[in-house]
Amino acid sequence: MQPNPSGPARLRSGLILYPSQNHAIDVALSELIEQLPARYVLLTDVSGQVIISRGHHTGLDPVPLASLVAGDLAANQEIARLLGEYRPSQLTLREGDTAHTFTVEAGAYLALLVQIDSHVPLGWARIMVLQCAQKLAQIVETPPPETQHRSSTSDSAEHRLLTGGDDLSDLFGNALDELWNQS
Amino acid sequence: MYINWQLRELNLKIVYYGPALSGKTTNLEQIYNRVPADRRSELISLKTHEDRTLFFDFLQLELGKINGLTPKLHLYTVPGQTYYEASRKLVLRRADGVVFVADSDPARVRDNLESWRNMQAHLKEFGTSLDSIALVVQFNKQDLPGALAPTVYAPLMGLHHYPVIKAIAIQRIGVFETLKAITQRVIANVQRHAAPSGTLDQKHQPLETPYNTPARTGRMQP
Repeated sequence: MQPNPSGPARLRSGLILYPSQNHAIDVALSELIEQLPARYVLLTDVSGQVIISRGHHTGLDPVPLASLVAGDLAANQEIARLLGEYRPSQLTLREGDTAHTFTVEAGAYLALLVQIDSHVPLGWARIMVLQCAQKLAQIVETPPPETQHRSSTSDSAEHRLLTGGDDLSDLFGNALDELWNQS
Repeated sequence: MYINWQLRELNLKIVYYGPALSGKTTNLEQIYNRVPADRRSELISLKTHEDRTLFFDFLQLELGKINGLTPKLHLYTVPGQTYYEASRKLVLRRADGVVFVADSDPARVRDNLESWRNMQAHLKEFGTSLDSIALVVQFNKQDLPGALAPTVYAPLMGLHHYPVIKAIAIQRIGVFETLKAITQRVIANVQRHAAPSGTLDQKHQPLETPYNTPARTGRMQP
């Protein structure tokens, strides 16, 4: 597979994040948390897989939350399309008593949830969340330094991890056997 | 699929698709009940008041380290009722693999076919074909009187090109075999697409498990 110069590092329909992108995402979300300020931030890919969560939410498991964020985003996008009012980066807002929650798509591959205290001005928060979403989209859509000096992704150690040596299918089968027979 | 090389995580999305009441949610419930709590997430179910799937069910499984990677399987179901067409399509988006759960009730042949064609149409809209996505067919409710024999119905329904697994999900029979078969097919697909063209194709012919049939013959083990 050749690196995609115009899009994020992708394997077929999926998304691959390299350490430099991870770091850039971490920095962008840390800045958002500090500047807003935000209580809690969750970044997922659009199929609902957790990329990162930051902030405090006692007892909250980000994994099921991420699946709901992705479902919520997909449903909202479809509603907007059916109503003829879809455009990229549309925000949805849920107002609460002590906190408000934004969800927004961050480019074609990511979904972002941001929770803020109810005393944070909504207009300010809206601008900051949108800016952050754009920054995140740019991070994953720009080829990372790790891939820029390779003639193809098949040169990478990561790639060899997926393709080389043992038969991964069998290894996954064994791992599932072990999981199933644990209880 | 989402890969995070820093965390060495490989995330895969598998969708259980099929007609209403065919047992998609039951499959996930049985997996949830069997797998130790520290290796799975909570089971999320978005249901109607009548206990029918409204949007999706979701369950994440975490496998042990493989080649230094921590694989995570994200299992989703779609709502089966015809009414929820739009939701079904959304859940199917970006799936790495699909389990088609057919209802073995002889009265539901048409529902199975309609759901299958519906799935095919959605995949096509996403630019995916049945040939390129990892797919496993489960004939569930094999305990019903006069249950559809996959050896007969899989070819009739055009499903004989895929691994077919007999199941009684409510008794957990065939549930794990289905999960294992689809996971292995997804991984074979990942390898095929990651490999220089042609190098892995010969290694990854359709799978044979104790419950499925060699794909080309339509035979099933009892």
